[in-house]
Amino acid sequence: MNALVIKALAFAGVLIVATLVVIKQMNIDLSDPVNMITFIGAVAIAVLAFGVSAKYIAQMKTDTASGELAEENWDGIGEYKNELPGGWAYSFLGTMIWGMWYFTLGYPVNSFSQIGQWNEEVKAYNAKFEATNKNADAATLQQMGESIFLVQCAPCHGTTGDGLSGKAHDFVDGRISKKQVLAVIKNGSNQLGYQMGAMPPMMAQGKDAEDIAAYVAGGMKGEQPAAFAACASCHGADGKGMNGMAANIADYDENLITHVIKNGKKGAIGTMPAFHDRMTPVQIKALATYIKSLKGE
Amino acid sequence: MQSNAALEYDYTVAKLFTYTTIVFGLVGMLIGTLIAAQMAFPELNYLLGEYGTFSRLRPLHTNVVIYGFMLSGIWATGYYFMQRVLKVSMAESKLAMFLGKFHFVVYLVIATGMVVSLFMGITTTKEYAQMEWPLDILVVVVWVTWGLWMFTLIGIRREKALYISVWYYIATFLGVAMLYLFNNMEVPTYFASGGVGAITHSVSMYAGTNDAMVQWWWGHNAVAFVFTVPIVGMIYYFLPKESGQAVYSYKLSLLSFWGLMFVYLWAGGHHLLWSTVPDWVQTMASIFSVILILPSWGSAINMLLTMKGEWNQLTENPIIKFLILASTFYMLSTLEGPIQAVKSVNAIAHFTDWIPGHVHDGVLGWVAFMVFSGLYHMAPRIFKREIYSKSLIEAQFWIQTTAVVLYFTSMWIAGITQGMMWRAVDEYGNLMYSFIDTVTVLHPYYAIRALAGVLFMIGLVMFAYNMIMTMAASKKLTEEPQFRSPMA
Amino acid sequence: MFHWLEKNPFFFAVGVFLVIAFAGLVTILPNFAESARPLKGLKPYTVLELAGKNVYMKDQCIACHSQLIRPFKAETDRYGQYSLSGEYAYDRPFLWGSKRTGPDLHRVGNYRTTDWHENHMWEPTSVVPGSIMPAYKHQFTNIADIATAYAEAVTVKNVFKTPYGNDIQPGVKAFEAYKPKVLAEAKKIAADMKNKDVKDAVAAGKIPEIVALIAYLNRLK
Ligand code: HEC
Ligand code: HEC
Ligand code: HEC
Ligand code: HEM
Ligand code: HEM
Ligand SMILES: [Ca+2]
Ligand SMILES: [Ca+2]
Ligand SMILES: [Cu+2]
Repeated sequence: MNALVIKALAFAGVLIVATLVVIKQMNIDLSDPVNMITFIGAVAIAVLAFGVSAKYIAQMKTDTASGELAEENWDGIGEYKNELPGGWAYSFLGTMIWGMWYFTLGYPVNSFSQIGQWNEEVKAYNAKFEATNKNADAATLQQMGESIFLVQCAPCHGTTGDGLSGKAHDFVDGRISKKQVLAVIKNGSNQLGYQMGAMPPMMAQGKDAEDIAAYVAGGMKGEQPAAFAACASCHGADGKGMNGMAANIADYDENLITHVIKNGKKGAIGTMPAFHDRMTPVQIKALATYIKSLKGE
Repeated sequence: MQSNAALEYDYTVAKLFTYTTIVFGLVGMLIGTLIAAQMAFPELNYLLGEYGTFSRLRPLHTNVVIYGFMLSGIWATGYYFMQRVLKVSMAESKLAMFLGKFHFVVYLVIATGMVVSLFMGITTTKEYAQMEWPLDILVVVVWVTWGLWMFTLIGIRREKALYISVWYYIATFLGVAMLYLFNNMEVPTYFASGGVGAITHSVSMYAGTNDAMVQWWWGHNAVAFVFTVPIVGMIYYFLPKESGQAVYSYKLSLLSFWGLMFVYLWAGGHHLLWSTVPDWVQTMASIFSVILILPSWGSAINMLLTMKGEWNQLTENPIIKFLILASTFYMLSTLEGPIQAVKSVNAIAHFTDWIPGHVHDGVLGWVAFMVFSGLYHMAPRIFKREIYSKSLIEAQFWIQTTAVVLYFTSMWIAGITQGMMWRAVDEYGNLMYSFIDTVTVLHPYYAIRALAGVLFMIGLVMFAYNMIMTMAASKKLTEEPQFRSPMA
Repeated sequence: MFHWLEKNPFFFAVGVFLVIAFAGLVTILPNFAESARPLKGLKPYTVLELAGKNVYMKDQCIACHSQLIRPFKAETDRYGQYSLSGEYAYDRPFLWGSKRTGPDLHRVGNYRTTDWHENHMWEPTSVVPGSIMPAYKHQFTNIADIATAYAEAVTVKNVFKTPYGNDIQPGVKAFEAYKPKVLAEAKKIAADMKNKDVKDAVAAGKIPEIVALIAYLNRLK
């Protein structure tokens, strides 16, 4: 082979290898058909574009121009009456035949539906996912939860879950802040969809409210303020929410996370959107497990 | 056959467009380099307040390079070679002279209006059709004027048969006229609302999916009839002329031309793959895109074959180097495009940096290189002076080639990586990467691309300098060179 | 035959025109009516949302953001339900975009909120470290062009039969009468915001661009 063509192919090779190295570093799965076809496409572009043009440029060294000149001449430019290059002509014909075949016999109009393909892809995936992960252990759930959290929740809660200096709920620094508790005591709350329904406003006032808030924000440690009795009727003396009747204010649990993800939350810090049905039950469980693990003791 | 008495051609308008090519090239690519740098170093967004953000500048970049640099280049060369291959001088027709000058003046008005309005954020937002309705009307005026000029000249031509380059310029005129009109149908809100709000604002005649279809029927064919067709016309003139070689094959020219005309228009749907346009439109666009490889490659191969046996010209004449590399980058982008139009590949490539990568193979390696070679070839003939410096062209060639290679390889890797990362799932089937992961990983590639921009810009400044010195200070020529352009 | 065409420019031009003209018709016309149909229950943009859309266009967010969710699982997991043609029936122009330097925004209203946008548009890196999106602080002081948005509503109502109510009527007077409704909508958004300049402006009856933009972003669902 000609030296120029070899150089061109070597360049194509370097580009392909570099691409491969980079995507492998990002843990890309090349057996995925779409990734695979794309990669083959990239190889084809590099090899054909550089290889073929180098072949023609190399001819400038070895071949000479000849042929019968047409009688016309424009501003000194002549024109040969040479035949079509065979490779080009057959490729053109070939692609045209392929195109006609594709459109009439291969994939005739309306034989493919991109939405149909999506439905199948998702159905197959969901069935598999629910089956394999229904009984996942805590360690698996936590890992799974982390990856979901980083994609879906981190833009607001931060990659570490610290709430980005007060822009969203902080999962690291305990269960709930004093400011948040005070706001709920003052305004009540009616958005998370607990069995108990709404929490009325003004359950406590003044110093009572302050004491309660400090106690709850402190992780319900130490002596319980007497006024907390007003809260205990719904949240339980331990603040755990009486088995899901009301929100657990002592700890994160799956129940709380589920309610927040389903309904969103507008509170003292800001507003969190509802994620409705964008999370499967297993994913919510995983998130809950992960969020529980964030709370520093 | 006609007499061979030398004709004195009139290059007034060609010169005017030559100046704007240089100015808009400098401005447009400077902005390009800036926005490339902004993607690597976002602090650069704040140099000009609200007017300096990436998003305000990006359409300025595309519009100034396309409608400033590229169109000026197309017209500078057109006003030059049309006279020559038709064998009539503009000076022979008062009408042609008037149309040419009027064309330039209105064009300058539009270009200025375009820059100012886009800076101010007045835009209809459809890509490559951002200008608001008052400018659209002027565009129609300019386009019709140009067409009238071309057909006036054709009407009084001495050369009976039209040369290949003229075919392509006629097609450019017709294609853009038809597409631009349809895509810019818009209703000015001020008049339709009884005088409320801004007078410049309009709404598109089409909504949603239909608007998308019309837009990319235009967008794709703007690529066809502005970035490709006239540029092919240019290479069919400048390569044989500069090298003194006869075009390799008439048949190949013919089949490539009509093939391109027929196939191009069907492929616009490849900008809308996996969108809400009907599946059959998408499939059809993919198929025609693949078929499009051959008529595109036909012209490039024809040009490469024209240079058979002329290796020494390639090594000795930097203008030939530009022309040959332009053909190969044309081959690269017209193979890359069709492969990106394959539906599975587009699932990855669409929306990623691989597309701007593909774009700049074409616009830098093909369009800009062609404009440079055309103007270099013209310079000694329109300014009647030798080109100021050959070594400067050589240096420009190598610097800019490096720039293009860095641009497209970095965006190639960046795009493929990003596209695959968006799809990647972890062992549980959940998305593996948050969006920002797929942004930060691209930093090195964005930095390389910014470097490519700086290099290309350096080459461009060399070009501008070389051209200006040629106009002003180079050795005078007594006789017009037949083929190879004289350079010091 | 071709050689004959090359000597007869008029017929040459006609030939070229015919060859290039019909492809467009074949692709665009067959589904034109169907593609123009709105999804059942789709509401036109409010005037404030239209003003926000115009801010989105003025600042060219489309340079980096798409509004088209393709039917791939990876994409629907990230952004939500794939996009449907009928959802775009009131989008003039369509804003699908062609580059995702930033994420898709077609359903961003589902998973981001007013206060988040406020932080993010003021300083993107304050919520997403490493973000390369520019800050848009000028939107907090520039006043949105409500009149033009209103004119747009009138135009699409009268010319394209977009179903607006009878309170959208041509003329400056009708606009003045309508303005309080826009301000009321803006107030709701400003209530969830913290920036003092914005709150003051809205209290004084002016609507900063950011308020309109957020109304638009929240509407994208
Ligand atoms: C009538 C029953 C009831 C009483 C009494 C009550 N709560 Fe609640 N609390 C609820 C319910 C129900 C919710 C969930 C509200 C929702 O759906 O938004 C809730 C929510 C909360 C939350 C928000 C949890 C979160 O994570 O967003 C806090 C904090 C809270 N209560 C604290 C208190 C305190 C402190 C008191 C006493 C002063 C108290 N509650 C009294 C029923 C009650
Ligand atoms: C657009 C921003 C945003 C996103 C995205 C977001 N959150 Fe939130 N989230 C918030 C804000 C703001 C709060 C605080 C509301 C308040 O109390 O004022 C919050 C509160 C919460 C709470 C309530 C804590 C409590 O005790 O009341 C939970 C649980 C939570 N988020 C979980 C998640 C999970 C899980 C995800 C991802 C699936 C997520 N969030 C995504 C903004 C967000
Ligand atoms: C230079 C590119 C760029 C421009 C211009 C830009 N953005 Fe962004 N945008 C990004 C990037 C990158 C992200 C992802 C990182 C982040 O969230 O900041 C993003 C994220 C976003 C998000 C969050 C979406 C999500 O799912 O997290 C919103 C909303 C947004 N941008 C709105 C806008 C608006 C409105 C404009 C115009 C006024 C704009 N952007 C202009 C690059 C850009
Ligand atoms: C056979 C010829 C070609 C085909 C089939 C083709 C195909 C494509 C495809 C599939 C895309 C990407 C669409 C997307 O996913 O967003 C694209 C984009 C683009 N191509 Fe090509 N391409 C060709 C030649 C060229 C050439 C020669 C140039 C320039 C000189 C060019 C300039 C562009 C531009 C500017 C875009 C970007 C459009 C946008 O803004 O989104 N193309 N092309
Ligand atoms: C110094 C040289 C140049 C540099 C550094 C440069 C850089 C850039 C950058 C950074 C973008 C935005 C890409 C993105 O959004 O991801 C862009 C887009 C674009 N540029 Fe350039 N550019 C240069 C020259 C040119 C020239 C000469 C042309 C045309 C003649 C051109 C045409 C375009 C087009 C059409 C787009 C839009 C692509 C798309 O939407 O897909 N550029 N350029
Ligand atoms: Ca327009
Ligand atoms: Ca684009
Ligand atoms: Cu295209």
